[in-house]
Amino acid sequence: MTAPAIRVEAVNKSFRIPLDHSTTLKYRATHPRSSSRYRPLLALQDVSFDVPAGEFLGITGPNGCGKSTLLKILSRIYEPDSGRVQIAGRVSPFLELGVGFNPELTARENIFLGGAVLGLTRRELEGRVDAILAFAELTDFADQKIKNFSSGMAVRLAFTVAIQAEADILLMDEVLAVGDARFQEKCFDVFADYKRQGRTVVLVSHDLGALNLYCDRVLLLQRGQLIADGAASAVTAQYRRIVAGMSDNVAPEPVRGDPGSESRWGTREVEVSAVRLLDAHDQGHTTFATGEQMTVAIDYRINADVTTFAVRLAFKRSDGADLSGPSTRDAEYRVVSGPPGSTGTIMFRMAELELLNARYLLSVSVYDEHLVHAYDHIEDAVSFRVVDARGRAGMVDLRGSWSQPVSEPSRRPEISEASASPTVG
Amino acid sequence: MISQPTPRAERASRSAPGRSAGIRVNLNLTRELAFTSFKLKYTGSTLGYAWSLVKPLLIFGMTYLVFVKVLKSGAADPSFPVELLVGIVLWTFFADATGSAVGAIVANGHMIRKAYFPRWIVVVASTLSATMTLTVNLGLVVVIGLPLGWFHIGLQTLIVPLLFIELYMLVVGIGLLMSSLFVFYRDLGHLWEITLQLLFYASAIVFPLSLIGEHFRVIVALNPMAQMLEDMRRALVTPTIPWSATILGSLEIVPCLLVCTVLVGGYLVFHRLSPRFAEAL
Repeated sequence: MTAPAIRVEAVNKSFRIPLDHSTTLKYRATHPRSSSRYRPLLALQDVSFDVPAGEFLGITGPNGCGKSTLLKILSRIYEPDSGRVQIAGRVSPFLELGVGFNPELTARENIFLGGAVLGLTRRELEGRVDAILAFAELTDFADQKIKNFSSGMAVRLAFTVAIQAEADILLMDEVLAVGDARFQEKCFDVFADYKRQGRTVVLVSHDLGALNLYCDRVLLLQRGQLIADGAASAVTAQYRRIVAGMSDNVAPEPVRGDPGSESRWGTREVEVSAVRLLDAHDQGHTTFATGEQMTVAIDYRINADVTTFAVRLAFKRSDGADLSGPSTRDAEYRVVSGPPGSTGTIMFRMAELELLNARYLLSVSVYDEHLVHAYDHIEDAVSFRVVDARGRAGMVDLRGSWSQPVSEPSRRPEISEASASPTVG
Repeated sequence: MISQPTPRAERASRSAPGRSAGIRVNLNLTRELAFTSFKLKYTGSTLGYAWSLVKPLLIFGMTYLVFVKVLKSGAADPSFPVELLVGIVLWTFFADATGSAVGAIVANGHMIRKAYFPRWIVVVASTLSATMTLTVNLGLVVVIGLPLGWFHIGLQTLIVPLLFIELYMLVVGIGLLMSSLFVFYRDLGHLWEITLQLLFYASAIVFPLSLIGEHFRVIVALNPMAQMLEDMRRALVTPTIPWSATILGSLEIVPCLLVCTVLVGGYLVFHRLSPRFAEAL
């Protein structure tokens, strides 16, 4: 087998955390033996793994577990205290949400500077500047200084420059933490392209749903140690167990909207207490893949004497386009209520999610059986993202199939003979 | 484990950049950084780039007034004002280049924390931006001075490129040494400013070296800056003053050795400390 793209062998890394900040000569002169004033912090302990070329590797773990330190060691920014790191190929890092821009320069100038840091020459970049600006959605801001950009704008530009390097290995730290759902979809498309081209991508993220979708393999770090290394689904599940109840991805999506506010109304005879989005294994997610099973679970509480009620969902895309409004009434499903004070759950299951790449909003409402009287209506109760691994454009997978019926004149001779023979015989 | 044969073969061909490609990439980054700092130095000021010309001119005007007119410094030498001008232009370069090199690593911390590239690049780039200013200033002095007969060009002038190499070696050596130490000891910035002031007077810029008594003159000429400036004046302006080698005799090796020591020492210190830059910034 050929050498792996990344080989990490028994890497240790510690930082010296000064107990008081004193980087002055005076301090060194007056405290000649001041080394005891440092507290060592073991950031990585005996970490080893190989990444074969073409693998999409995820790294996750709680804050301060050493993920970012590991990525900085892979990009040679930090040197390990001991152990070995071997990298085969050109590396393009995207760390701390940037590639080293100068705030005093314009977007255009920074493309050349940031590109140079990543090893691109002016000539290589010249023809791509417009495409870079267009991808970053900054064409109108090309000649504005970066210091006047919002952080989101700067990050978009930095990411776009980082992916220009045509690197063999892409190292991405928390790129998904950048807001703007629409731009995130583009990032995912880029990752999908990289994966298709057999390049290596290392993605550090807290977004377990995304890691699950994209990564062939996930590493889990905890307090500087590699505690799990394996298939994405297994490792993310293990991580969920570790942080059970703490992660935003696992806990039931909080029901937004204060009572009486514009986005929530109703008499509360039946009250929605939580809305959860579950995958086939009943795990909560905020990111789903096209074609995956998705279940909307609505936890409710009965506050008054109601024999039955109706539940309605309203799916819309984040830009407001209405998609679908399934309800128990349309489906002629009769909801069984309970005595006042009881709680229950009602689920809406989609065996294969047909939505494509976008962020979606889900409104949940509980009405009387005739859908007239609102018990509890929560506009945009939860949001979720759908990622299509194939990066198809549009909103919905219509599940059509393609075919070409064979017509008489265009038949090839042998086919016409073969199909004609029964009639003759 | 996914293994796709085609992309891997493609990758193999791409991932063999070779040494020359690495050098090309480093040179490209050095150039981008040098132009960037050159460009940024004067943006936001009304006079813009003109400041790089006005600054040495103003310093020259002031020192000329104080030292030549009031204190009658170099009164015996009619070409002393030109010597002073050459000295000021070179000194401005030395002060600018080392001053910006000292802070170069810290000032580019945002890049050093986010990407790997050889760290010496930012130091060299900051000195190159001062070199661009020097080139323009010297060009201007030469263009104005040549028709006015300020300079004496002859065989002795051939040594000038060597002196520039020596000057640049010293600048890069100081830059590497101070910029890496500055990451860990921030008061070196102030220290260097004061050292520059001291060196200014110790380098016999505002007075001719001949002003100093014979024994003391040897000690002053051991300072590489004094040696370089004196030889520049000898080679360009006044062929009658002695070479530093005449003053120093066999001790001429000392300023040269000092420059080499600073460069090698600076490189060694930088090489040792640079892996820790990203953590300390």
